[in-house]
Amino acid sequence: MSEKTDAPNLKTKATGFLSLDTWAVLLALGLSALVWVGLIKKVPW
Amino acid sequence: MATSALAVPTSSENVFRKFGGLLPGVALLFAVGYGGKLIERGIANYGKAHHLALPNIEYVLWAIVIGLLIANTVGVPKIFQPGLATYEFWLKAGIVLLGSRFLLGDVLKLGGVSLVLVAIEIVISLLFMTALGRAFGLSPKLTTLLAVGSSICGVSAIIATQGAIDADDEDASYAIAAILSLGAISLFTFPLIGHWLHLSDQSYGLWAGLGIDNTAEVTAAGNLYSDAAGKVAVLAKTARNAMIGFVVLGYAIHWARKTHSQEVENKASFLWQKFPKFVLGFLLISAIATAGVFGKDQLTSLANLSRWAFLLTFAGVGLRTNIRELGKQGWRPFAVGAVGEIVIAALTLGLVYGADKLVGWGH
Repeated sequence: MSEKTDAPNLKTKATGFLSLDTWAVLLALGLSALVWVGLIKKVPW
Repeated sequence: MATSALAVPTSSENVFRKFGGLLPGVALLFAVGYGGKLIERGIANYGKAHHLALPNIEYVLWAIVIGLLIANTVGVPKIFQPGLATYEFWLKAGIVLLGSRFLLGDVLKLGGVSLVLVAIEIVISLLFMTALGRAFGLSPKLTTLLAVGSSICGVSAIIATQGAIDADDEDASYAIAAILSLGAISLFTFPLIGHWLHLSDQSYGLWAGLGIDNTAEVTAAGNLYSDAAGKVAVLAKTARNAMIGFVVLGYAIHWARKTHSQEVENKASFLWQKFPKFVLGFLLISAIATAGVFGKDQLTSLANLSRWAFLLTFAGVGLRTNIRELGKQGWRPFAVGAVGEIVIAALTLGLVYGADKLVGWGH
């Protein structure tokens, strides 16, 4: 049994003009673009 | 916390201050998550060196356990909190990147079956949780939050609905605590039941995607079973998440009419505002990958990027969990959540079994 503290404050609206979701999408698309153009050649795991 | 941490600053100085404030927490997420990865690797290496068949417990679980131990023993100082709150951001970025591993054909193939199951799961969950909340004498808005949290997507749905129906923070806290508590339990019980029933990766992943409420726990529970099950779980959960806007809109209109407090003037705009954009990002990346834009090595890099994002996410799940707080929440919301989750888990398992018979997964 557990609870995330401050979870109600995690509003989807992260900024005045872009949501947290949108920022996450933009970051992911940006990284994908960098991989595609070859600026990020290999991501190890 | 994420709101203030990521809020748009008015000057470049504020930008650096805001992002600087996130760094300690993000560094802690990385340290905990990477610790989990090292433990996983250490156990595997030990087993290999000593010719022992040790169970492969993935970094996902270790990251959560380490986070839980830290948060509930020594505690997490305030300086880390803004960065820790970014765990949901990493989760969503990770899911979008995960889209590269899903060719659209696979998404569409699963989509037909999933959508039917998702629709059944959502309708029955909403009705059942609403009836259960009434039976236990919960307030109507808390009942609504629990019903939405159980039927769609946990914390995101509760937060979106809270704003839409103007529910109290206290109600949202109760609902979130109940959903996350049960999600944490599901994280451990679902893989055990899945193995006990010898579910195929496809069936288990679909069950986890339908039966567990919060995206982070779905992703973790799926990956704990297998990589393939994790993919299916995320896919099924993504289909559920896609319904959030419609359900929240329905409740918003219902409560606006009931309380005469605020009308939803522009339904399309409301839907767009509440719609989880990462679902679109996931589909976009999937479409790009399906078109053959990325080479094989590039697809591996994108998959690894999503793993790093999830590493931060799962550390955050553990670090933001306060076990002691539960005692203060009262028993009825948890009872409603627990009964509801057990029934929904059983129901979705039945649905998956039925679909498995029809489609023939795992054969």
